[in-house]
Amino acid sequence: MEARLTDISRAEALRYLGVRGEPDTALRRDLDRCAALLEAGVRPRVCWRLFPRDEDGNPAGTALSLQGQDIRRFLSGCGQVILLAATLGAESESLIRRTQNRSMADAVILDALASAAIENVCDNLCADLAREFAPLSLTGRFSPGYGDFPLSLQRDFCEVLNVSRLLGITLTPGGLMIPQKSVTALVGLRADLPAGEGGEASGKGEPARAPARTSCASCALSHSCAYKYEEGSSCGKQ
Amino acid sequence: MESNEIILLDGAMGTMLQAAGLPLGELPESWNLTHPDAVVSVHRKYAEAGSQVLYTNTFGANRHKLASSPWSVEELVSAGVRCARQAAGPDRQVALDIGPIGQLMEPLGSLSFEDAYETFRQILAAGEAAGADLVIFETMSDLQEVRAGVLAAREHTKLPVWVTMTFEASGRTFLGVTVPAMALTLTGLGVEALGFNCSLGPKELLPLVRELRAWTPLPLILKPNAGLPDPATGEYRLSPEDFAREVAEAFSCGVRMAGGCCGTTPDFLRALRSRLPEGPAGLDLIEARGGICSARKVAENGKLRIIGERINPTGKKRLQQALRENDLEYIVSLALQQQEAGADLLDVNVGLPGIDEKAMMVRVIQALQGAVDLPLQIDSSDPEVIEAGLRAVCGRALVNSVNGRKEVLDAVLPLCKKYGAAVVGLCLDENGIPDTWRGRVAVAERIIAAAESFGIPREDIYIDCLSLTVSAQQAQARETLQALLAVKRLGVHTVLGVSNISFGMPERENITVSFLTQALAFGLDCPIVNPNQAAIRKAIAAFRVLSGADEGSEDYIRLCAELPAVSAPAAAPAAQAAPKAGPSGASPLESAVLQGRGEEVARLTEEALSSRSEMEIIEQQMIPALNRVGEAYEKQEIFLPQLLRAAQAASQGFEVLKERLARSSRAGLSRGKIVVATVQGDIHDIGKNIVRVVLENYGYTVLDLGRDVPPERIVETVLAENIRLVGLSALMTTTLPSMEKTIRALREAGADCKIMVGGAVLTPEYAKEIGADYYARDAKRSADIAREVLG
Repeated sequence: MEARLTDISRAEALRYLGVRGEPDTALRRDLDRCAALLEAGVRPRVCWRLFPRDEDGNPAGTALSLQGQDIRRFLSGCGQVILLAATLGAESESLIRRTQNRSMADAVILDALASAAIENVCDNLCADLAREFAPLSLTGRFSPGYGDFPLSLQRDFCEVLNVSRLLGITLTPGGLMIPQKSVTALVGLRADLPAGEGGEASGKGEPARAPARTSCASCALSHSCAYKYEEGSSCGKQ
Repeated sequence: MESNEIILLDGAMGTMLQAAGLPLGELPESWNLTHPDAVVSVHRKYAEAGSQVLYTNTFGANRHKLASSPWSVEELVSAGVRCARQAAGPDRQVALDIGPIGQLMEPLGSLSFEDAYETFRQILAAGEAAGADLVIFETMSDLQEVRAGVLAAREHTKLPVWVTMTFEASGRTFLGVTVPAMALTLTGLGVEALGFNCSLGPKELLPLVRELRAWTPLPLILKPNAGLPDPATGEYRLSPEDFAREVAEAFSCGVRMAGGCCGTTPDFLRALRSRLPEGPAGLDLIEARGGICSARKVAENGKLRIIGERINPTGKKRLQQALRENDLEYIVSLALQQQEAGADLLDVNVGLPGIDEKAMMVRVIQALQGAVDLPLQIDSSDPEVIEAGLRAVCGRALVNSVNGRKEVLDAVLPLCKKYGAAVVGLCLDENGIPDTWRGRVAVAERIIAAAESFGIPREDIYIDCLSLTVSAQQAQARETLQALLAVKRLGVHTVLGVSNISFGMPERENITVSFLTQALAFGLDCPIVNPNQAAIRKAIAAFRVLSGADEGSEDYIRLCAELPAVSAPAAAPAAQAAPKAGPSGASPLESAVLQGRGEEVARLTEEALSSRSEMEIIEQQMIPALNRVGEAYEKQEIFLPQLLRAAQAASQGFEVLKERLARSSRAGLSRGKIVVATVQGDIHDIGKNIVRVVLENYGYTVLDLGRDVPPERIVETVLAENIRLVGLSALMTTTLPSMEKTIRALREAGADCKIMVGGAVLTPEYAKEIGADYYARDAKRSADIAREVLG
């Protein structure tokens, strides 16, 4: 399964940039120019691995222990779990950092576009996985740091998936990933989703054949999110 | 490796331990103590399969990875060596296995060179003491990390050093290191063998092996994976027989040590043993290539290479000021301009009375390596500065310079040898510059002999025949050219600073360009010039057309399309369209700032200087313009990208003013100093950098301490510089405690400063709770706070 970057959502990038309303022509041009730079300059990479869940609900044969209520709820009914990781690579880190030397404006635009881009890579991977594992259903993605699923598990997660070797993702002593435009997540697999208990915590009740995202309720940033409380607005991740 | 026989290495350790019950994600090295029998048994199986070198189970046994484990580096490393030794017996060698530290080094990460060096030193000391026969650094993707390891091994042990790095099919490591850069750098550092491990299967690695072979005479190591893994299960797909057949193809490319990495087992080694050639392996002839390099770019021997001269403070007031004020951004901007103008290498000279040249050399090199890919030329006469620079350069540097004086040769050449650098030799000695070309060639020959006596070959020697000012010593131009011709025959490269030939002459460019062209024809390889002068670039491009180097004249045609014709009068910038009307009542300068048109801001600032002082321009035009920008931002008429565009445009105006003040040696324009930092543990610094740019463009001097900054360093700077305003940023909930700790440290140290804080997860309430004076929700707000505190 190749990493695929197919579309960088300008709308999502504009939200990250705090832009309200329609962007003017100059800004739209800047977005397109920076998006082209990003597409040419980054190399998305993904890896994933499928694990059955052992009697404690953890990925079998690993040292990873899934702590917290939220992840348990999220994976309820899932007999197997996929650990996945995606990154835009050191190229993205370097591009954004170096652009800061030339133009801070371009750098923040690139940064926002890169955030949108890594989401797109993850969405594409999950779509591919959904096809691969049909007729099983996939839940949405759940990452260390969401809800009460501790960020401190990032290290174990990365070891199990061997992301440093496979993708070049490293962790700082505090457990932050570099390249920053990287994602790790769990995706549950189950035979079918009973109505009303969808893989999406938003409770749409639809079997989550298509990969779904997670909800505001399980987001670590929910207490301070600038988008959550606003009518008709969101961070785009739920 | 005198013989040409193939040495059989071993296969995967992790794969085997997992098969023996090691859970995924558990520290494999812990088994050296908890399950030594299992570890010894793996080693034994490889020994029985024919492995002559056993890698210890110590890949991740470094102090960073072990930080939260109950074991020490010494314990796990010596236990690991013991296990391997037990299986190896007296006939096989034990290789101390060292993998990447697991954290990214500066500039992308926050691990310092010194920390990496010390981390490796600890493992190396333990490994050598426990009886390892050699050290193998493997699975590396950062060349700087490898350099730290190799230097630690060289400086603290007697162990032979092998290195293998991990590449993607693109021919680069995760961090963008190229095969030639790896080869030149590590061959220069004197490792015993180098090659590839992990990465891909043997078939995919073969083209990279061929490339590596062209760039180093050293024996090569190949330890690939068993093909590509099945993502679902993590299992590798190649059979032992196919693996062995593919690896064996690499023997004629110089591979002398072979084994397997992820997914390989003793069966793979047995299959490989059956493929070993009887007697010495043959070797394909391959062209040997060389050059100077960074981690990503090579300035290859045999090609005309432009050395950018602009990072040299001699006679440059603005750069002198930047060095005194530690303004690395300005220096980086010079590098970027030269890179864009086609420089192949950058000269770096930071010698200035009153500054710590050694510390500055390191800081500048680090800043440059974070910003440009070009190889560097370290320009200093002080051996200590040269060594500090050589340690910092990631790649293979050129040292500028030695000359014919024995004490200089004796002090500098051993450094070049140790770090694998090439060296510039100036044709002068204790008697000065010889008047005749013969005299200069004689000095060159002495330098070459001395370099060779230290083991530096001719292909790493660059002779500078020296150009003298033609207005003072007219006859010398011919002597320089003659010397070039003769020196070139000695089998060395030539380098020449060209610009000062024309000093004191009218229309200098004519003289400089003419001399440059002649020098190139007489054998100059590396002109040291200002590539930002269009005439210079064009002369070099024209020369490359005539010499046939620019096939089809493509580069020349492209350059001509890009640059205005040299003979045409400079287009008057004022002829551009009149500035678009800004908001009612805005001056042209204000409109230009608001619309983010930097070049126009610079031009208008220049014009304004004819009738106003620098301070008047700032107070009456720049600040009101920035205030308008700020208001528009508050009203959500513009957003962050436009705010930053405007700030950048304003900065081009500020640069005009700074240049002017530096030339007249007057005091700066600062409205006050502010310290900003991203707190310890956090590496997300883009928000802090935005604040810096905005504050600078409101006329404040910003001391940016970077990211992951320990509280002590912030306190120290605030006290030493008498800072009245500090800005702290943190992005993550997990790093907020570190922000609180920093504030407490500042208060406890009695720092008389206000503290503003910002970052995605902060709230005004939380800012108050942790003792900050201000909550800055965005960059605009931080400028308001600065005005409140500093005026």
